[in-house]
Amino acid sequence: MRKNLFILFTALCSITVLANGQFEKAMGKNIPAMFTAETPEALQGVINQLNRIGEAETNRWEPYYYIAFGYIRMSDMHENGEEKDRFLDLALEAVEKAENIKPNDSELEAMRGYVHMMRLVVDPATRGMKYSGMAFASFQKAVQLDPTNPRAHYLLGRMQYGTAQFMGAGDGGACESFANAKALFAEEENADNPLAPTWGNETNNEVISMICEKGGE
Amino acid sequence: MRAIILLPFLFICSSLFAQTTISGRVAEKSGEPLLGVNVYIKGTYDGATTDINGNFSFTTYEEDSLILVASFIGFHEINLPLSKDNEPLLIRMREKVSELNAVVITAGAFHASEEGKREVLKPLDIVTTAGATADVPGALNTLPGTQTVGETGRLFVRGGDGRETKTFIDGMLVHNEYSPSAPNTPGRSRFSPFMFKGMSFSTGGYSAEYGQALSSALILQSKDLAENDRTDISLMSVGADVSTTQATENSSFAGKVQYTNLTPYFKLVDQNLKWDKAPEEYNSNLAYRVKTSETGMLKFYSNASRSDMELYESDIANPELELPVKVQNDYAHFNVSYRELLGENWGLKTGASFTKSDDFAALDTESRDQNLTGFHGKVVADYQYSDRLGILGGVELIRRNVDQILSDESGSFEQDFNEQLGASFLEAEWFASSSLGFKAGLRAENNSLTSKNTLTPRLSAAYKTGDKSQVSLAYGQFYQAPQTQIILSQPSASSEKATHFIANYQWLSEGQSFRVEAYDKRYDNLTRYSQVFDPSTYAFDGYGYARGLDLFWRDTKTFKNTDYWVSYSYLDTERAFKDFPGSFTPTFASTHNFSVVVKKFIDEIKSQVGLTYAFASERTYHDPNTDRFLSGRTPAYHDLSFNISYLYSNQVIVHAMVNNVLGINNIYGYEFADTADTNGVYAGRAITPAARRFIFLGVFITLSKNKGINQLPNL
Repeated sequence: MRKNLFILFTALCSITVLANGQFEKAMGKNIPAMFTAETPEALQGVINQLNRIGEAETNRWEPYYYIAFGYIRMSDMHENGEEKDRFLDLALEAVEKAENIKPNDSELEAMRGYVHMMRLVVDPATRGMKYSGMAFASFQKAVQLDPTNPRAHYLLGRMQYGTAQFMGAGDGGACESFANAKALFAEEENADNPLAPTWGNETNNEVISMICEKGGE
Repeated sequence: MRAIILLPFLFICSSLFAQTTISGRVAEKSGEPLLGVNVYIKGTYDGATTDINGNFSFTTYEEDSLILVASFIGFHEINLPLSKDNEPLLIRMREKVSELNAVVITAGAFHASEEGKREVLKPLDIVTTAGATADVPGALNTLPGTQTVGETGRLFVRGGDGRETKTFIDGMLVHNEYSPSAPNTPGRSRFSPFMFKGMSFSTGGYSAEYGQALSSALILQSKDLAENDRTDISLMSVGADVSTTQATENSSFAGKVQYTNLTPYFKLVDQNLKWDKAPEEYNSNLAYRVKTSETGMLKFYSNASRSDMELYESDIANPELELPVKVQNDYAHFNVSYRELLGENWGLKTGASFTKSDDFAALDTESRDQNLTGFHGKVVADYQYSDRLGILGGVELIRRNVDQILSDESGSFEQDFNEQLGASFLEAEWFASSSLGFKAGLRAENNSLTSKNTLTPRLSAAYKTGDKSQVSLAYGQFYQAPQTQIILSQPSASSEKATHFIANYQWLSEGQSFRVEAYDKRYDNLTRYSQVFDPSTYAFDGYGYARGLDLFWRDTKTFKNTDYWVSYSYLDTERAFKDFPGSFTPTFASTHNFSVVVKKFIDEIKSQVGLTYAFASERTYHDPNTDRFLSGRTPAYHDLSFNISYLYSNQVIVHAMVNNVLGINNIYGYEFADTADTNGVYAGRAITPAARRFIFLGVFITLSKNKGINQLPNL
């Protein structure tokens, strides 16, 4: 009896003590919300929540990883190049915060490359030179840091395809990268960290059917 | 029993975790509500995002000495200790003035950079402009405020002479920035546009950091660390070059060697001039950059070249008589600069440059050998007091030694001078808000030759009139030493002075920009003489004015894959200088200048094509056969140029260009014999281009591990 009561008491009183449980619960709610938010206002709300979590949990990189993704989505929701850049600055800032907590991480390096790639898209003619080099370098480094990271392969493929199209023709090796990503997505498990990134499988399959299964042109 | 035991616990619990509601409203200083602000209890997950009315509300179990944080992009963060009264809060946030939202003082200046969104031009635009032949001044000559002076190719800005525009690389002055060219052929800048990541072309009212230019400052920023290793080979109808870039994490090296020889070209394409030795040039560019720390950068740059040409020029009075002309130039420029942030709010820039130029020119038995040695050292510190106030100050020393030997059959005559200019400058930039900014600067100069001190103010202001539009104003005084020959003859010759008033309106939207600028420029202390080699005829009381209106429209949006811009300049100018018997419109000025630049990428043929049309109205010339000074008028100038870059493969690009496609016979002016013939008539002839058209062909090959890289962005 006393034991039961004690359990009840701790359950009621230790909401803040059991910080980990709270962290995972809060992240578990905000990660899908970040992917599904449809307006800049809703997305900003999710980013704000992730920011609060990130500031409270000073040793967790995950909030900043998803903030970076959130700002990439936010950048995508805006038309104006100057505004796009402003959100990409914030995305990069978030990647860097996460990297301070977890240096040399394949997922974060891939996210950094993703920001560079989006930067390039804002003005390919002028920025091609600089940002294609930076994006390629990041994706290649991400593959090197963890060859089993499917997102690194998928993003590398997008960059290869975009460059080949900009230059005229071909896939620039993109389909090989997408195929690598597909195999890795199939094996992906996140047993040790349920908050680690899992996104990308669906879009990877979509680009494969759009680009690679039509003969590669 | 159970309840009795449980109750006190529950009581303890609920008092420990009493739920509090925190609510309120967040607004700007002006009262405008802010949407999307993150309001939360510091160190917790508890918080909310403000709605469209700036309202927020959330609950927390936290208690005691809580700090409420309001955080929003572009605003100063608020940290507020919470009291326990649960009253709704009203939080006022103040906007941060940052590069992103602050009004930019644009009066007088065209900025270009790879990154900036609010700039009218990109460095890339320089190299893709038809007719510009990948030359920086060539492309800038399609902007309003410049006057086409086809026989020199230099930047003549708002009624100013070509020498009234000075070029600065990484803050350092460049002497003799143009390569020598054949008579009546546009000279090219020695500096390749590929070296620069940004530039600011000021057509007046520029910063107190720069001096010794009456009309215009062309401020170039060289590229930082290179990202990729690459090697480029260019095979051109006028020569060949090889360049390589090697990058490591913290340093990069770039080198380019170029050899140009127009002999084969002149054999193929008829020239109006009779050549003995077509222009030949060896040119090398070396750049080395080291990242000395997270924020520090050390840059070395050198340019060395040797060029020469020989031709025959017929005598004006006696066209049968052909006189040999010889032009030679040896040039070396070395530039080192260093910048670093000293703490959070302090920045330091320092640099030194050294130039040596040896110019030799001969016409028949007369020759001029001019040697210039230049040094420039500079230290600039800047302090950011707050997001709204920044101060920049510095000192510089500019030394120039010029030695000239004039020779003819009767002997030789040597002149030289040693000029030392010491300058200090201070400039403050203050933003009353993100929509209203002011800049005030003061420049003090001491010239060792005239022993005079000058103090010149520079003022400017800008006000955002809307999301996309702004107005700005600028005022400034500028001094410049007179032309070299005057100082050689009389080293104590007074400096010339210009005063600028500029008003500008700019409208910038995604893919479209419009600007209009009106100006009034006054000249004082211009050098007058009746004989340029005779200092006893010098007077330093010349004067003049230039006023006008510049219009610019650019649109990259309306037509798919098409970018075009239109420039128009109206100029009204007169000056009393040199040997003018009064106030007249000088020969280099034209009232109307108009140009249209069009660039289009055509997917079907994987090619970028460009067209440039330039028009300049009539220019004055003096015909000694009439009594009225400068009463002659040339025909108007027209030029239509075309270029095409074809992407043969990822690494190979073919480029072709034709200037003056229509073959219009442009006349820049008329020149007359020094003495009248037996009938009392001064023989004359038109000054025309050396060839009607210029045709250029080139193949550009890139070798790089990164297959995505080629020279397309360079063409």
